[in-house]
Amino acid sequence: MTAVVPVYSLGFGLVTASILALAAVGFTLQFGVTNILNLAFGDLMTASALVGYGVNVIGGTLAESLLAGAVFGAIASALLNRYVYTPFVRHGTKLFGMVIVTLSTGIVIQNFILGWFGANFFSYKVAQTKTYHVVGMYFTSIQFMIMGLAIAVMIVVQLLLTQTRLGKAMRATAANPALAQISGIATDRVIDVAWLMSGALCGLAGVVLVLNTTSFQSTTGNDFLVVIIAAAMLGGVGRPLGALVGAVILGIATEVSAAYMSPSYKEVIAFVVLVIVLLVRPGGLFGNADAVRSSNA
Amino acid sequence: MLASFAAAGIASGSSVDTGTAALTIGVFNPFSGPDASFGPEQMAGCLPAAAAIEAAGGILKHKTLNCKASDSRGDPADAVPAASQLIATTSNLVGILGPSSDEASATVPIFNRSKMPMFADTGQAIFDKNSYHYYFRIQPADDAGGYAMAVYAKDKGYKRAVAVFGNDIGAQGTLPTVTAGFKHLGGKIALSETLPLDQSSYRSEVEAVAAAKPDVIFMEADPQTSATFFAELQQLYHLVPIVGTTATIQSPWFSAVRGAIGAKNLKKYYVGTQPYAPTKGPAIVAWTKALRSVWTKVSQPASQWITNTYPESNYDSVILMALAMQAAKSTTPSAYIRFIVKVANGSPGAVVVHSFAQGKKELLAGKEIKYVGATGEIHFDRSNNSPGLFEMVSSDGQRGAVLSAAQVNLAK
Repeated sequence: MTAVVPVYSLGFGLVTASILALAAVGFTLQFGVTNILNLAFGDLMTASALVGYGVNVIGGTLAESLLAGAVFGAIASALLNRYVYTPFVRHGTKLFGMVIVTLSTGIVIQNFILGWFGANFFSYKVAQTKTYHVVGMYFTSIQFMIMGLAIAVMIVVQLLLTQTRLGKAMRATAANPALAQISGIATDRVIDVAWLMSGALCGLAGVVLVLNTTSFQSTTGNDFLVVIIAAAMLGGVGRPLGALVGAVILGIATEVSAAYMSPSYKEVIAFVVLVIVLLVRPGGLFGNADAVRSSNA
Repeated sequence: MLASFAAAGIASGSSVDTGTAALTIGVFNPFSGPDASFGPEQMAGCLPAAAAIEAAGGILKHKTLNCKASDSRGDPADAVPAASQLIATTSNLVGILGPSSDEASATVPIFNRSKMPMFADTGQAIFDKNSYHYYFRIQPADDAGGYAMAVYAKDKGYKRAVAVFGNDIGAQGTLPTVTAGFKHLGGKIALSETLPLDQSSYRSEVEAVAAAKPDVIFMEADPQTSATFFAELQQLYHLVPIVGTTATIQSPWFSAVRGAIGAKNLKKYYVGTQPYAPTKGPAIVAWTKALRSVWTKVSQPASQWITNTYPESNYDSVILMALAMQAAKSTTPSAYIRFIVKVANGSPGAVVVHSFAQGKKELLAGKEIKYVGATGEIHFDRSNNSPGLFEMVSSDGQRGAVLSAAQVNLAK
């Protein structure tokens, strides 16, 4: 077993990275366009996973659960922005104030789930799947599905951002909202779309996360939030491609490091990697340090 | 303030409490966060006890006893202000159920300083010997549970074990004694694995466990962590017998792990260690009756609590405090506290009672009593801990081997 340690660890890392990528790209996509650090993201993942679970319980397929989670995530995120966050922004709440608003919103969502569904654990009804060995790596069919979904979504997001008018409008809004508006871009609509897309990815990430953990409760998504933010920062905040790369690096770093030392340190290793990268490149791998400095200011 | 104390009749100077105001037990445990299941478990013991006490006419002239939930969130940073708030804002607070292992180190001193009797559900060994006058624990400590797990595993013939414990303070409490005990009995701990909680995957940890080729896994981690770990163990290796701590014998843990590996596998591979409690007798009848009287008020499904020793011990704790108040003729904590040990340990010639109603009747008749409740005999030592027996229980609630103190001591 020792001889193939890095290979199987790589496989484990790819699954973790796939889940992380869906979430981190969704997180950073919205942040890039709106400049709101949405700390309710993890709790929305849980809520979306619960919606998917509801579909699963009434006999829906896994695809239907994923779709339900994505649709719920998209609508809930857009509504959150329109009716909770935007009024604060209009009243001049700054970046730090918005952090508190989103944090509070997350706590409300988490406790709403707890109050409504109780301190219970939920598990999707999924048939026991076979484990496949692929060049020294082990995957279940669900893990193949998670990786495939992540790859497909990443391609779609990348094409949308680089090859469509909407993508260009989003990038323009992210770079300079005032200039984008003067140039005729309907930035409000672009921001709505960003929240919808981010929410859909959040919903998908929520469902695949709990498929992988097999059981979940009201805090599950929030437990994952720090790693999501870390992946987004590693790649460069507001950079979807960066978030993807950040997710892959963190996912693989955690699992491969566990092959060489106590797995207790795997999260430590991930964050050491993050700190080292940010020391060398404060804006992250794909970001620029000036943007970070201006948002800090 | 003085007026309210006078109205309640619990001014510390008064020798006999003649107040009638409703009394309150603070249920101080996590009601949210990863250990949110702890709080409802405490309430499932407090509410039946309060109902039984009220049905017997209340404590002294106080007809009503309330159970007030106070959420520690399972985190000392949240628990400290929550404890202070509970004490400062609750009228006629006469005792506490809790704290749990998550917040005990930070909040036991607060309750003790406030002279508030607490029946802690923490299993931490640091409280095995302590000088907190207002602290009580009627369940064995985690370290004793660790020895019991080792004895059971050795008796089953397991030779090679892996210890898999969460990195939280509650789970880590059992680890030193289960590993030391198993080694002392001649077994080998092939690997001791600490799981960071609530990760999306434990595949690397599973690989390490598989490489160790264990006969048995000693386990404690929160439900979600355990579910993910065992699902991946099943995928990448195969399931092996699991011996869990008392913390794993909870409905949420079973629900989560059952969802991950299936009910059949959970029943086949899992057994947990819990403090022994009798399954029949007058105290069990009283407990069951009390529980049924609040059937719709406790966390559902209520049937999960019938044979669960945690709510049983919480029920006993409240009954003990109530009987102590009755015996002291005072609801003032500093006045009734010494009667807690007296009512539990008894004295020569004391009448053995199994319910609040029975105890109150004997006390009113001028007799001394000894309370033997749903969890069996309670005998406090100098640190107000009551060590007891252990029993093994399966995931469907079936109780198995009972381990005596002498058997458990073999592992030490």
